[in-house]
Amino acid sequence: MSVQLLDRELDRLEGLWSDGLSETYGSYLDAVGHFETEVQPKLALAAALIEAGVRLQGLGGRAAPPTTLLIGDLCLARGSRLLADNAPLAVQVAFARAIETASSAAAAGQPPPPLRQLLRQSLGATR
Amino acid sequence: MSHRLDFVTTHATEFVDITDRIRDEVRRAGLRNGRVHMQSLHTTLGLAINENEPLLLHDFESLLDRLAPAGAGYEHDDFARRFEVPLDEPANGHAHCRQLLLSAFATLMVEEGDLVLGRWQSMFAVELDGPRQRQVALQLDGEFARSDEQVSLEALVELELARQLMVDPEPVASPMRRLVEAGGKRLRPKLVQLTAGIGPGSDPLRAAELAAAVELLHNATLIHDDYVDESTHRRGRPTVAAAEGPERAIAVGDYYFAKATRLIAQIGNGGVTSALAEALEAVCASQIDDVAMRGSYPGDRDSYMRVIRGKTASLFAAACESGALLSGAAPDVVDALGRFGVLLGTAFQMADDMVDFSPSSGKPVGLDIRQRVLSLPLIYAAEDRVVGPEVRRLLAGALGDAEVGRVAELVTASGALPRVRQEAKGLIDAAVRELDAVELDGLRPALAGLALSAVDRIS
Repeated sequence: MSVQLLDRELDRLEGLWSDGLSETYGSYLDAVGHFETEVQPKLALAAALIEAGVRLQGLGGRAAPPTTLLIGDLCLARGSRLLADNAPLAVQVAFARAIETASSAAAAGQPPPPLRQLLRQSLGATR
Repeated sequence: MSHRLDFVTTHATEFVDITDRIRDEVRRAGLRNGRVHMQSLHTTLGLAINENEPLLLHDFESLLDRLAPAGAGYEHDDFARRFEVPLDEPANGHAHCRQLLLSAFATLMVEEGDLVLGRWQSMFAVELDGPRQRQVALQLDGEFARSDEQVSLEALVELELARQLMVDPEPVASPMRRLVEAGGKRLRPKLVQLTAGIGPGSDPLRAAELAAAVELLHNATLIHDDYVDESTHRRGRPTVAAAEGPERAIAVGDYYFAKATRLIAQIGNGGVTSALAEALEAVCASQIDDVAMRGSYPGDRDSYMRVIRGKTASLFAAACESGALLSGAAPDVVDALGRFGVLLGTAFQMADDMVDFSPSSGKPVGLDIRQRVLSLPLIYAAEDRVVGPEVRRLLAGALGDAEVGRVAELVTASGALPRVRQEAKGLIDAAVRELDAVELDGLRPALAGLALSAVDRIS
């Protein structure tokens, strides 16, 4: 991923990159190969931010302390904005549904669904 | 709400009956009870209330002529003794003197949507140096009615919110339903709906879907905010975090964040999706700044403005822009509405800050102080030469009931509240001025009325 893109999209979240976000990002790269070259890193980063955001918030587990929750919220919002600007509508909808699935399970006290798997499937959504 | 009444006079002296035009302005603005203030914008145009009877008007004209006859040797007409006299300057000393006998201002009362005038009373603009192009400034204030159309639009949003909550799983729908049903001002959805009526592609049903999604998004952020701020009540009811625990609050907030972004995306307008996604990001980033600022509580004005620009004003702006984009409004209109939204959102937040010091608001006084929430009145009081040192000392320590009560007293005594009120009203005026430069298909009064209502808690 380009340094410029990282600088811009990791504003306020720089610490997360070395704290596991880099590996999470890498785990989505093979799921974005069917997109235009220039949007591939943006969509992989969007997925990574959403996965990291949900983890930081403690969704489905113990609630994060307030400041950590806010970082998680920013991850979700930035991931969502990256999708809005770069992903086809079907992918945007699939991502939102993945978060809806994970959060409604958490609210019901049910076991969390495999989020990475849901997000990887979302990247392949076509309708 | 401000307006200008334009007209052309055809005689040197002329009584122009503007009663019906003012009555129309009152109706168009939906002013139910209040006042219309009028001001002549010329030094040879007066205002008067009297009877519109042709012979009587002739009597008035004769009276003015007797009291200040034309050509009676006015020094004002001696151009040789004046500086910088324009080439087309008329000899009109008599007209200025006649205007002195009348008034440049008038206020009419409005009750039940109509002017309060006696049987024979009419409102006149009195031309004293015509014929000319003339302008009278109007300001309307008071209680504005909602039009039938506005009522229907609001009902559509409520219906759409209920419909969306009906299909959601109970563990998330139930807490959100309690929050939504508890009320709220619904300013953001109203802005979406109004601005969605501007462009050629206006569609009330799609606008209601977007408006409901924006309201869900706003409420999702509130659910997380309440956990962060440790708030126990919102809209008179226990917060989701207080009632059901932080874990549930996080899940409910996430669910409706995701659902709202999906509903927005499914509307299928990329500009709308991007505008709201950017706003949500700004809200979240500013929340982090807000919490960080609590370390140097109450902070300073610049930091305050930066935080509320993201935390509150960005979603107001995006609501305005997204409605206009949905309707296919022209880019200059979308931009003007974005600026309108920023100014309105900023003024709204200032008004909201002031509520914390109002015993009649229904909320406990000093709640923001206790929770160390960013507040402009508090910032101004802390900067005040007289009360500032004590305010800062109290805020630096633990805030029990006595300390919170004392800080609220000091803020009230400091003059900070009128200063913030003035600033908020100035922002509303600036917001309404943003609407002047663009074509809004007759929606300007409704948007201006909404802007005024957003801060009417501080009037």
